[in-house]
Amino acid sequence: MASIVRPSLLRQTALAAKPAFRNSALRASAFHTSTRRSAFISPGPQRIEGTVNDPAPVPPPSAAHGSYHWTFERLLAAGLVPLSVAPFAAGSLNPTTDAILCSAVLLHSHIGFQSVIIDYIPQKSHPGLRKLFMWGLNLATLTVGVGLYEFETNDVGVTEAIKKLWKA
Amino acid sequence: MAALRSSSRILSSSSRAAFRPSAVFARSMATVSETEQQPRIKSFQIYRWNPDTPTEKPRLQTYSIDLNKTGPMILDALIKIKNEQDPSLTFRRSCREGICGSCAMNINGQNTLACLCRIPAESSSDVKIYPLPHTYVVKDLVPDLTHFYKQYKSIEPYLQRDTPAEDGKEYRQSKADRKKLDGLYECILCACCSTSCPSYWWNSEEYLGPAILLQSYRWLVDSRDERTAARKSKLENSMSLYRCHTILNCTRTCPKGLNPGKAIAEIKKQMALGA
Repeated sequence: MASIVRPSLLRQTALAAKPAFRNSALRASAFHTSTRRSAFISPGPQRIEGTVNDPAPVPPPSAAHGSYHWTFERLLAAGLVPLSVAPFAAGSLNPTTDAILCSAVLLHSHIGFQSVIIDYIPQKSHPGLRKLFMWGLNLATLTVGVGLYEFETNDVGVTEAIKKLWKA
Repeated sequence: MAALRSSSRILSSSSRAAFRPSAVFARSMATVSETEQQPRIKSFQIYRWNPDTPTEKPRLQTYSIDLNKTGPMILDALIKIKNEQDPSLTFRRSCREGICGSCAMNINGQNTLACLCRIPAESSSDVKIYPLPHTYVVKDLVPDLTHFYKQYKSIEPYLQRDTPAEDGKEYRQSKADRKKLDGLYECILCACCSTSCPSYWWNSEEYLGPAILLQSYRWLVDSRDERTAARKSKLENSMSLYRCHTILNCTRTCPKGLNPGKAIAEIKKQMALGA
């Protein structure tokens, strides 16, 4: 834990000395991973909004990003269990269940990756990078969606493919 | 007895200089047995960083003390080091009994209160002491908790109601309702849980963190509070509450044995069910 703490604590104070060692650090960083890690997203110096006696700002309420989002996410995750078992348990291959399974998996992974991006790329300090990654994710989801659609309509479909792989 | 005393007084008055050393020896029986004990030397590696020399790298400084002459807790050792070896060592402490939450620090990789943490006397390895992880350090073991307190203020941690009390005196509460507050009101806001939470490390600016959410739940379940809806709407966004991914470092580290993870889960449940 300590090794994670130290560089971030240093950064606040090392700002003054940064231009001096930046170039050498960049060149050497590929070979030295243990001693001086160059952080991809640095926390930077501490910023306090308002005075110390002001409360921290509260974002505007939006259930779509809050409780509805969370409930939907959990229901989707729970629904994936019966959806992935059903086609094999029933023994019949139904294109409808296949389509539902595909779209559920797609949505589930999209929400999951969205969460990762929100966690690791802070909106406040890196709004541009956040936007780039979000659009990248949208593009990836769309590509996978189109791919799955093609696979379902022009090929055997996901369930059948897994079955074949299992027996191969 | 009286005769004895008078004779001794005569003795002491006549040959004081000669008698003194033996008298001291006779009185300090305890110190004699102490010198017979083997000194139990323990090394403490303590994080040092001085804001007066900001370009100097933070470092670990090693102090060795004899555990026979130290109290049982880490805080005793820190105070001994500050008194006897290095007065420049800086740390917060106040109550020395785990009720003020000042001496929260990272001891051997675990966030805890120095006053409630025993010195591991059995193991021979050094004790490593760091400030709370992922906090901005003021000096040595003193973290800057300004934002933490600002977040606490943002949840309005006080009783809010519009209707006056029925008897005009007190806001009464059933025993069952009071029981809901057990395990919540004991929190001393030492920030051990929040600074152990990876989600709080990455998003401390917007995510409230386990300590503040535990307090938020404390006011949500209070039967006397009438602003539950307003309190919930403050959490209705992607950052304040829902950055909790049930990692449960908070519950594991809490020096008071509370369960912030469960409190957060209860808030999520309340928000989802609209209860």
